Amino acid sequence: MTGSLELVPARALLVPRPRIRLELQPGDRVTAVVGEAVHVGEVLAERIRDPRLVEAAVPRDGADQGIPLPGTWLPGEHVLAGRRAGAPAGELLFEHGGRRRLVSGPHPDRLHAPANGRVVEVEPGVALVLEIDGPGLAATELLGEPHWGRLVLLPEESDPRLALDVALAGAVVVLPGRVDAEALARARAMGIRGAVVLSLAERDRRDLAASAARQEAGLHRLAPFGVLVLGGYLRRVFAAAVRSTLEAASGAVVGLVGDPPLLLLPADRQLPLPEPDQIVVRGGPEAGREGRWLGPGGIRRVRGGITAETGLVALDDGRTVALPIGELERFAVLAANG
Amino acid sequence: MSHVESGAAEPLVGTRPASSPPVPAPSARAVVAPADDRQTAFFTLDHGTATVAGALVGRVDRRWRLLAATALPAGSNPDALLGLLVDRLRSVDPACAEAVGSGPGTGTEPLAAWPRLAASSAPAATLAVIAATERTRARLEEAAVGAGWNVVAGSAERTDPLVLTRLATRPGVVALLVGVADPPDADERDLAAELAVAAAGIAARRPGMRIFLAGPVPEAPLLDAWRAPIIVRLPAPAGAPGELAASTLRAALAAARGGPDDSRRAMAAAAGSLARVLGLRVEILEIGVSGAARVVALPGPADDGGIAATVQIVEVPDAALFRMDRPGSVDQIDHWFTQGLDRARLRDRLAELAIAPWSDLDADGALLRAAALRGAVERLLVATNPVLGDGGVDLVIGAGGAWSAVPGPAAAHIVADVVRRPGVVQVAIDHARLLGPIGTIADDAERDAVLADLGEDLLLPLGTIVTPRGLRPNRPVGRLVLGVGGVRSEVELVAGGLTLVDLPPGASGTAELAFRGTPELGTRGRRFQVAVSGGLGGLLLDLRDIPLRLPERPDRRRELLGTWERALWPERDA
Repeated sequence: MTGSLELVPARALLVPRPRIRLELQPGDRVTAVVGEAVHVGEVLAERIRDPRLVEAAVPRDGADQGIPLPGTWLPGEHVLAGRRAGAPAGELLFEHGGRRRLVSGPHPDRLHAPANGRVVEVEPGVALVLEIDGPGLAATELLGEPHWGRLVLLPEESDPRLALDVALAGAVVVLPGRVDAEALARARAMGIRGAVVLSLAERDRRDLAASAARQEAGLHRLAPFGVLVLGGYLRRVFAAAVRSTLEAASGAVVGLVGDPPLLLLPADRQLPLPEPDQIVVRGGPEAGREGRWLGPGGIRRVRGGITAETGLVALDDGRTVALPIGELERFAVLAANG
Repeated sequence: MSHVESGAAEPLVGTRPASSPPVPAPSARAVVAPADDRQTAFFTLDHGTATVAGALVGRVDRRWRLLAATALPAGSNPDALLGLLVDRLRSVDPACAEAVGSGPGTGTEPLAAWPRLAASSAPAATLAVIAATERTRARLEEAAVGAGWNVVAGSAERTDPLVLTRLATRPGVVALLVGVADPPDADERDLAAELAVAAAGIAARRPGMRIFLAGPVPEAPLLDAWRAPIIVRLPAPAGAPGELAASTLRAALAAARGGPDDSRRAMAAAAGSLARVLGLRVEILEIGVSGAARVVALPGPADDGGIAATVQIVEVPDAALFRMDRPGSVDQIDHWFTQGLDRARLRDRLAELAIAPWSDLDADGALLRAAALRGAVERLLVATNPVLGDGGVDLVIGAGGAWSAVPGPAAAHIVADVVRRPGVVQVAIDHARLLGPIGTIADDAERDAVLADLGEDLLLPLGTIVTPRGLRPNRPVGRLVLGVGGVRSEVELVAGGLTLVDLPPGASGTAELAFRGTPELGTRGRRFQVAVSGGLGGLLLDLRDIPLRLPERPDRRRELLGTWERALWPERDA
């Protein structure tokens, strides 16, 4: 039955040694060097907050070591008495008609490494690429900013408004129950660095984005905060494979990143791998149940008069049912990306 | 009943429509057999964003026949899918399996031995468009959107270079289009060189990015870049808005976006073949999760005495099935949805479907898909009508997985609800998703021959829709006499509703319509005689308004839509 198992789409559970991209913008000053090993929390770049475009004359011949490329960080020129004002330090956007366009501004923010790894590539003003030492648990979206912290699992069905307290400051918490924007705002206010949720409704996502935008506009910003969504928009329960992976990583320092969306796990933890024929039902009347794949169930008519290709699944509660293959998924460990 | 008004609609099945130019009978070229007679079977695979559809086509009695077909969620292994089809054929019809060489003991391994025709529809990639002026930006953007790209755009006239650079280097942007008019407008001349330098700066930051230069943009700065980018020269933007279909720039951008197996472009080739083989005006409404396209293929006389086809395709990424990032898109779906659901919940359901389009198949999930499909077709028509027009065609084909996720009669109802044109039209769906893969056959004659051979296996007929315009609502307006195989039946016509007449697939006949007034049915008249063909939905006499007017109050609108929906989709409440 292994061949027919491949009829069921596989969803990535863990990505070994993932390559992640941390977004930069023109004017950010990268301090990390390609090939360098980095540790969680290390500063990788100084981030510009209010970039402005500055025009400056091209220095006389010989003032530069060759012709600088777009994206090059240029130091400020000294102001000479009786001469034109010197150009500020900044990143070269491009050079045209004897003038340079520089991106300049203050750099009050820092970009930190969300996990241990190695700098693979720097695209100036675009992204910094890291190869992470440990595996990543696949997610669907990161709302907010990449961050890291100690992983704490709250009990199933706990009310986040009651369970979140200042003792969790600096942690990344897994919220298995119902989560809304209010609970996430509360988590942020308590100094929690990030949250891992299975699903989040669109309305709560928008509230969270609006809150982040207000923080962004503020003069004194709060610490970065990220919400990693493992599933989608409708409430569901954690699949057993996901739950056991999170339990195995509990207490370790983990990272949250958005490109690709992953929970970065430590390299030194033994993580359980899912059984190859373990099936998760993601929709329909049996949503949330799990079982074993038995084989193709043929084309059947489901409620509503739709015909669909089905598969036979022995559910963990002892029943054998034929379910549309579209409602089924299984987990697979994928090869490293990038 | 014998009198037929001058200019009335003419029979549709396999014959020329009254308003189209004269079309000769299919030429010998269109019915030649595929080159290799030793080939007994082949597979087709249509890799969509949401689903992968496979089919097994075999030669039976010297004809290509569809032997098995199915669709699975994207991410399923295509080999496993094709293996399932072979196993199914062997168990259902061992003799046929033997005949095509896949029977037990034949020693042939079909998965390895039989060729595959594959097409794929990749999610619309994002193209950054930068232009010197707003005027040129609008033309470039229009061409890029019509070619199926997602577009972010700006102009040097309105936007500073820093913002343009950020726009072109944001995540997801895979290519950059820089353009000026040819010859450059007065205000573009000075900016063209600076744009090229800005593009070189962007290319230096994003190695490997493709750069399209449209019009006289100097490429020297780009060639001087440290990591020389891939530069593609394209024609300058030309023409005014509305001339999109003829735009060479649009065609070049479409070619640059899709590979040789791009299913939407392949579908255009298949539509041309259908127009040649059937001698009908064909329209394909392709709706996918990552994009949508409308293809119109019109037959006409060829220079060699055969049939030629004029094919136009316009892609509309905004008409993707669950696309909700445009203002009003959720309201549009809510407008068609027959179940009461609060707006927040509706949005979440749709967003979840965008992540897992193949899930939530049954119960109100299917109704939600149907509403989303109506919204998508509506957006597709609104976006393409200025270019392709809103003229009548003889055959409307629904293509893409979305059409197979509702029962056939419900799909016919969707066409009737949204494609509001006076006239008579046959409706079918590309149920086995063959059009894309067969459209990848490069040779016109070979493609025509395969389509002609497949015949009725190719499309699932949904029926015929008769839509007169100009009837006075809620009153008897005339009657219909349907003649099928010597049996005549009469139906009184009452304006304002949908009347269903049973006409099964394979049946065809003549409908004689006598009205009290002079409605428009292709042309104005009192009596019409039209050829009709059957399908899963039968004959739909759509006597509702054009355009369709629905109650403003949501509960009344849902009730009315639900009444029509229930008539064509009785299992929806099961």
